[in-house]
Amino acid sequence: MRAERSDLACRDRLLKCALPGPAPVTTKRSNVSSVNGAVPTTIIVAGLVLAGYALLMTARNRRMSVPLLAAVGVLEILLLVQVGVIVARLAGGERPAGLATLIGYLIAMPFIPVAAAFWGLAERSRWGPAVIAVAGLVAAVLMVRLHQIWPVIHV
Amino acid sequence: MSEPAAPPERTASQPDSTRTGPGRLLIAIYALFALAASARAGVQIATKFGHAPVAYLLSAFAGVVYILATVTLAVGSPAARRIAVLSCSVELAGVLAVGTWSLADPATFPDATVWSGYGSGYGFVPLVLPVFGLLWLRRWTRRPRTRRTTTMSTEDAGEGGRRRNP
Repeated sequence: MRAERSDLACRDRLLKCALPGPAPVTTKRSNVSSVNGAVPTTIIVAGLVLAGYALLMTARNRRMSVPLLAAVGVLEILLLVQVGVIVARLAGGERPAGLATLIGYLIAMPFIPVAAAFWGLAERSRWGPAVIAVAGLVAAVLMVRLHQIWPVIHV
Repeated sequence: MSEPAAPPERTASQPDSTRTGPGRLLIAIYALFALAASARAGVQIATKFGHAPVAYLLSAFAGVVYILATVTLAVGSPAARRIAVLSCSVELAGVLAVGTWSLADPATFPDATVWSGYGSGYGFVPLVLPVFGLLWLRRWTRRPRTRRTTTMSTEDAGEGGRRRNP
């Protein structure tokens, strides 16, 4: 019971983090940089929370669970929103110095949670959630890298 | 949403292949580095090879080693495990050699590789990963599972496999 409640609490936290996420989509062609930073920041927080939660599950010897998968789904949606924001900027005519690298990141980013979910689900032990923890950490690191590649992407 | 949480039962069963248990996590991280190193090297060699040829070629080499380790760990047959031990060893030697080289002669590395500064650009994961890889593989050459690996154990139970490890 206790585990279930903490699962739900954690999902609620993730969902709350997710709420301000979709807003920047509407700023498609504008250059409102203050709004622009909301999605990457949310992804960093969500990724770290997911990693912490997943590692807790590993430490407590739990397998993959539905709440964990739901949290991975939230992370996936956030990453897709971020890809959309960057594609909108590129469509608006802006170009970073390392365009090829950025496009590589845009392609790879959405696959991280999906690949981790499948690979983690194939595992019937505590090491399934550990794979999810990696995906959460990678999502957070990717946002920092994105900022390094293209500083207009604020974190 | 039928089940709110996984059954909180303990999972005491032993992993039965190099791709299960802790190996699952190892392969995930190896796959990530395989992608990161090879994609990065690909972009750098394609767009600005002349800028830092040594660094970019070393990144490409690292990418190949990571791909090899990922695939062989995931396959897990005795032959694959031997190749995995080899690639993890090359990786460990590479990160130590390139790490030292990059500190001793920074001029050769105007741009970083995965292994520069002992993998400091990647949170030293490149330094730690081969150590865990070799420990994981060592476990398999020492104690071959009877279940599902009976045909492999005769080939692999000897001392030969163990001595390969540094």
